Amino acid sequence: MSVYEHNYRAYAGRVTPVWTRIFVLARYGFAEAWSSKITVGLFTLCLLPPVVFLVGIYLANNPIARALIGGRGPQALAIDASFFLTVLEVQSWFAVALASWIAPRLITFDLADNALPILLSHPISRLGYVLGKFIALFASLAVVTVAPCLLLFVYQSYSSPLPWVAANLHIAAGLLAGTSIWIAFLSILGLALSSWVKWRVAATGAIFAAVFVPAGVGGIVTGVLRTKWGFLLNVPFMMSALWRRLLGAPESARSSFSLPTEAIAAMLVLACFLCAAMLNARIRAREVVRG
Amino acid sequence: MGIIDLKGLEVRLGKRVVLDGLTGSLQGQSIGLLGPNGAGKSTLINTLLGFHPPSKGTASVFGLDSQRNRAQVRSGIGYMPENDSFIGNMSGVRFVRYMAELAGLPAAEALERAHEALFYVGLGEVRYRKVNTYSLGMKQLIKLAQALAQGPRLLILDEPTNGLDPIARQRMIQLIKEIRSQGSVRLLISSHLLRDIDETCDEVLILKEGRIAALCNIEAERRSNRSFMELDTVGATEQFSVSIRGLGCECACFPGGRIKLVIPDHVEARDLYVIASEQGVQIRRMNRRRDSLEDIFLRAMDNELGRTDHVSL
Amino acid sequence: MNDQIIFEDVSKFYGEVLGVNRISLSIPPGITTLVGPNGSGKTTLMNLMTGLVQPSSGHISVLGLSPVSSPELFRILGYCAQFDSFPRGITGWEFIFDSLMLHGMSAAQAFEMAVESLERVQLGDAARRKIAGYSKGMRQKIRLAQAIAHHPRVLVLDEPLNGLDPMARAESIALFQELGRQGMHLLISSHILDEVDRISDRVVLITGGYLVAEGSIQQVRQEVREKPMQVLIRCDQPGLLAAKMFSVNHCVEARLQADGKGVFLRTGDIDQFYSMLNGIAAEGLVKIESVAPADDDASAIYQYLIGSDGGTS
Repeated sequence: MSVYEHNYRAYAGRVTPVWTRIFVLARYGFAEAWSSKITVGLFTLCLLPPVVFLVGIYLANNPIARALIGGRGPQALAIDASFFLTVLEVQSWFAVALASWIAPRLITFDLADNALPILLSHPISRLGYVLGKFIALFASLAVVTVAPCLLLFVYQSYSSPLPWVAANLHIAAGLLAGTSIWIAFLSILGLALSSWVKWRVAATGAIFAAVFVPAGVGGIVTGVLRTKWGFLLNVPFMMSALWRRLLGAPESARSSFSLPTEAIAAMLVLACFLCAAMLNARIRAREVVRG
Repeated sequence: MGIIDLKGLEVRLGKRVVLDGLTGSLQGQSIGLLGPNGAGKSTLINTLLGFHPPSKGTASVFGLDSQRNRAQVRSGIGYMPENDSFIGNMSGVRFVRYMAELAGLPAAEALERAHEALFYVGLGEVRYRKVNTYSLGMKQLIKLAQALAQGPRLLILDEPTNGLDPIARQRMIQLIKEIRSQGSVRLLISSHLLRDIDETCDEVLILKEGRIAALCNIEAERRSNRSFMELDTVGATEQFSVSIRGLGCECACFPGGRIKLVIPDHVEARDLYVIASEQGVQIRRMNRRRDSLEDIFLRAMDNELGRTDHVSL
Repeated sequence: MNDQIIFEDVSKFYGEVLGVNRISLSIPPGITTLVGPNGSGKTTLMNLMTGLVQPSSGHISVLGLSPVSSPELFRILGYCAQFDSFPRGITGWEFIFDSLMLHGMSAAQAFEMAVESLERVQLGDAARRKIAGYSKGMRQKIRLAQAIAHHPRVLVLDEPLNGLDPMARAESIALFQELGRQGMHLLISSHILDEVDRISDRVVLITGGYLVAEGSIQQVRQEVREKPMQVLIRCDQPGLLAAKMFSVNHCVEARLQADGKGVFLRTGDIDQFYSMLNGIAAEGLVKIESVAPADDDASAIYQYLIGSDGGTS
């Protein structure tokens, strides 16, 4: 037997279970998102603040080091809910930058050359497709939000005396909840906007705009109609209020406008529905042109 | 139970009824899908893939309902769409691998099969380049490769030779014939080129305005058309045709020495040659008419007399 | 020579990239088909003719007019491009009507001519719908309608049958043949070689930017002297037939087919060959099933002159 033919042969091997395909999508999406140098650059940038915070925690817990630096007194830095609120806020806004860069990379490459018919001709539903991309984006964002926040908490627990942890465990729970809600919202928003805007750079801009621009509109509403409900469009404001409550941090003194938690939750849910509708319209194997 | 079973299938797009009560069972090794534009061919393919839900009736592939068992149906189908459909930013190998993994192959096997499929369709070093740098022919081949890599039971090819130059077209047809003769995959090929369908399919489904205009087996038709013949002659064609008629053949003369005739059973080709030798006529071409597919198609389209003239070949 | 389209030593470079190099061509009225692999320079040639690009060197004259900003030329020229883009939101009717108005017709005239051209391509009822909703075949038809609407004398069609179903293909071919008979110059590019055989008066083969052959198909074939004419004969005893042919010295090569029921014979003298074949068939020792010249067509010329390494895919 010395001549070998290479014809088409059928596949007779193992087949992976259907639900794991979502993770195939997530895995490839993740690889696509992180194959760009800019992603790595942004990621590095996102990790700088935690380093600063780390130093802060170290200094707060080490009077000797504080004295060495110039010792301004123990009240300079208190590691409490407010501190972690700051950590949370900083990381979350950095996450916006990362999300607005990564989300278009996940969706636009597929839509640009009409890959959806081929993709959806495999055993994956539209929901599965979106879920896979969502997982990839969520995981990427979790690395710069959930992970640093929780790590800082752990470090604080490690370097502070024992009763601190017992009294402040709710902060950890609040960190986890707050970051998760935020990056979940950001992920679905990012995916929805990327599916509607064809040009990647424009999609990045759109995501930024979607987070910050409604605040301006909200401000106008508040000013003109003299009602506090205008703040429902102000994402930074809403999220700050939400995080504050989750972490149990004291309400800021100047907040004359206080939005009920239910309203904030309702607003977020509404936004998610809107995004889901946008995705439903665009993630299709076939377009039906009317008229 | 056939490969594809349609029972009263009705599909609406928006408010328009695009497929109107299709019923039939397709069983051939290689099924051709023909029909004028707008007849519903793409819609039928999309329905089989589960992209459109039927408003009435069912469509099933290998006995599995296209709507309720979508994942299973799609597992067994390899789809090569008509239009450009790829992820441009990936290399060819990565793309095919990705699709294979989505179809259910474990990662290691997916990589092996991807390379096998790329080798089989003839994409060499090109496979490491990004797909958006490919030429049209290569894009068609990569679509075929990703459909094959997963080892499907049914291969759906929508206009596989679209835009290909003659050499690439021949290669594509050759590949399709080889896949067909290998036997483990069934094929559903939609095309506007009767010749392509004739060469690659044994059963044909013709749609017209959303209904089935014809569903038949080409081989069987061909065998029953044996008694028609076409000749190209040089010389005294008129006299020749008179003599042939004398033998009992009906024949018609066309400019350029072309003769179409019906040969009764008792007459052989040799008899024609004998007459030709006697009269100094050269027979430069002789073939039994093979264009039964064109007949089938024309009949299915239900032509009025005027249009038939244009289309006769 | 006011009824010719003349290319004199024309070259076109896009920066470094070659479009066409030193092409000299003279196209008479009738149907001329441009054949070649993708990327060979066909579209460049068409664009040069219609004045969409200017040659880097050389001179072009279309019926005595130069394509450089020549309104008189555009009046007599119709161009149907390969690419599928239209102004947004436009209906079929508007597309044709507007382009006729651009030609300077009065509204009444434009109306009549638009109706007429839509009639010719059989697209009457769908004209009021938006082009975005058209199927691929309908888009092809509307492009064609626009090209012929203003009754041009020169028609340049880049793959005009792409996406058309068999009926529409046959109708378009009939339309082209009629226009050719009326004395128009039609330059059609196509990959479907058996259609090229059927409709062209002349064929132009181009590959890699160079002109490879030009003339009627038979002329070109006869000039490819290093490949003697080949005939496929299906019979019951191919070996015996080949032996007899060799013995009368009119055969330079014989190749038996794999199934043992046919033989390819190559001969330098086609005329004598057929006479001998007639004689052998009349003797009755060999039963002839079919006779077909295997390479007297566009497909064979393509194979010989351009071959498999001419393609870019």
